[in-house]
Amino acid sequence: MLRLRFHGRGGQGAKVASRVLGSAAFLDGYNAQDFPLYGAERRGAPITAFTRISRDDIMERGLVSQPDVVVVMDETLLLDPQSSPLSGLKKGGVVFVNTPRTPFETKEGYGIEDHVITLDITKVSLDMIGQPVLSSLAAAVAAKVAGIGEKALRDALKKELSAIISEKDLLDRNIEAAIYCYNSVEPISIETTEKVREKENIISIPFETALVSSPSILSRGNTPLRRTGNWRIFRPVWDYDACTKCMTCVARCPEGCIRLNEEGYPFADYENCKGCLICAEECPVGAISKVRESHSQTKEGDQ
Amino acid sequence: MAKEMLTGNRAAAWGVRLAEVDYIPAYPITPQTEIIETIAKWISDGEMDAGFVTMDSEHSMITAAGAASATGARTFTTTSSQGLMYGFEMLYTVAGWRVPLVMVNVSRGLSAPITLGPDHNDILALRDTGFLQIHCETCQEVLDSVLMAYRLAEDKRVLLPVMVNMDGFFLSFTREAVEVPDVEAVRCFLPEYQPEHAFFRAGQPMAQGVAVLGGEFYSYFKYQMHLASQNALEVYREVSDDFERIFGRKYGTIDEYMMEDAEYVLVMTNSFSTLGKAAVKRAREKGIKAGLLRPRFLRPFPDSDIRNALKGKKAVAVIDQNISVGKGGIIYSEMAGCLYNEENRPLLLSFIGGLGGKNISQEEFDLIFDKMIRTVDTKVVEPLHLLYTENEWKGITKLKDIAGRQ
Repeated sequence: MLRLRFHGRGGQGAKVASRVLGSAAFLDGYNAQDFPLYGAERRGAPITAFTRISRDDIMERGLVSQPDVVVVMDETLLLDPQSSPLSGLKKGGVVFVNTPRTPFETKEGYGIEDHVITLDITKVSLDMIGQPVLSSLAAAVAAKVAGIGEKALRDALKKELSAIISEKDLLDRNIEAAIYCYNSVEPISIETTEKVREKENIISIPFETALVSSPSILSRGNTPLRRTGNWRIFRPVWDYDACTKCMTCVARCPEGCIRLNEEGYPFADYENCKGCLICAEECPVGAISKVRESHSQTKEGDQ
Repeated sequence: MAKEMLTGNRAAAWGVRLAEVDYIPAYPITPQTEIIETIAKWISDGEMDAGFVTMDSEHSMITAAGAASATGARTFTTTSSQGLMYGFEMLYTVAGWRVPLVMVNVSRGLSAPITLGPDHNDILALRDTGFLQIHCETCQEVLDSVLMAYRLAEDKRVLLPVMVNMDGFFLSFTREAVEVPDVEAVRCFLPEYQPEHAFFRAGQPMAQGVAVLGGEFYSYFKYQMHLASQNALEVYREVSDDFERIFGRKYGTIDEYMMEDAEYVLVMTNSFSTLGKAAVKRAREKGIKAGLLRPRFLRPFPDSDIRNALKGKKAVAVIDQNISVGKGGIIYSEMAGCLYNEENRPLLLSFIGGLGGKNISQEEFDLIFDKMIRTVDTKVVEPLHLLYTENEWKGITKLKDIAGRQ
């Protein structure tokens, strides 16, 4: 059985990617199961989705804790301790990272020991689809890694995407971009047998008083510790020559991330700006432009 | 009949569509939402012909569903967890009306604390309401059970509402290959509802669920519900045989896996039974004569089928994905009650696992088999064991620290 785990951000299409792959495997004659884990998440938050592909019956349910293949749709997740996309990856497994960097640079940069494949699918998506929506592209890469045939992938893309995209042109561009990604990845054979997981010790839980064991939070003010700036795909950049200091962007920012400098010009707190770009939409003089974020070249918080 | 990849939620919606349900009052809640989204879309696209009303709450929703069912309309509704609790009062009422409503519950842990993961405290809380309960392991079973539920509920020997249960996320949002039956075949199996009892309508006044004000009357009506629920076991045999004849899939009141020569038996319900079956397979490879018994019905409780299946077994471990606070596993108690008068009853062990969807690891299953074998040697049965790993304990310790609770 092949177990694949997709890591993306809410809105990028990790769930749809896992479904397209599930359908493609099913159409290719395999048993398949796909499953997203979400619920309380929102746009931009880390999410995971899973696909299991097997010739035999699938006797598993729920999360994949020991994947053979990990698909990282957003590179910044590699540095996110809550997401930790590589956890449980089996030895001999494959990691796909959506990045402009080469596999070698990525391996070095993140200290990954496993087989790494890279492709800047965000760029492909922006160039060929016009939006940073990665579902079909991530699914295509995963399908190639999993050894699923191109026809099954095409049929699955058509089936899954036509359920959510009504515009034929957009659908076609998605499929075209996906097939481009499918053909950009070299076929590989995966041989994962060894499990990295250690044997789990089972314990008995002791009694603790309600002062300790009730679900309430005593330590206040810990929310700012969770920075959300790496959720961005685009960052808002101000042109102070055009800016009239009208403060519309300050008023409209849903996260309260925009403040004024000493001269009264607005600036963003990029550590927490999620890149929703409502400021750019609302700016009456068009002084705010959206610039493709390149987290891979800067550490979180660098400007 | 075509197979396609469907989530448990969409499989449930297909069951409702194929049952040609007349009326659906709805109120969304995670992880059930996709069922009513799907049905609402089909109705708006003209692919399904049914009345659909978005209600103001689950309490109103269940009331409306019961009332519609009392007019003779084939009615469906669905909820989950806290939503089910909010409508709880009306579950007793609707069951007491003796209307053949079918509801799907998508199991999710109950607050507090809040979680979206599944366990069965929500569905098991209503085990005494009069609703029959069918618990599903696979997405296919969800679809099939909705169809069988209508046959069962509408039979005049039963006339009680039925709850079909599936796990949130592990079925509700999990896609696997599901065979969607042809509408004509379904019509053969489940003909249009001919209400003999339900005739609540404007031109024909009647009082439904009246006040009786007296124990002797009340006892009569309640005991009649019990008898009807017991009848359902026999009626279900016919329903299940018909279903197998038409669709080729067989569902008993219990599901038996490698039980024939088994000595050590796991008892589990719902989707995690798949993990249990995998554990049974692994145990067999190690030479342990393992098996798994999955009650599909919890109301009526299939006592005689369970007693037959467990005859001559050495030990039975019940893994409850629920906790009755102050008592322990609910299904453990049910099993103990079922086996108590058996002369050569197996030893009965109690484990709690999978609360809120917590994983049950290989080691935890290994521990269960070890304990069963040891208990057969020593004859000393330990009290219930909560399945929990050291790593999970480290996780909770860290969380308590962040929350300032240590």
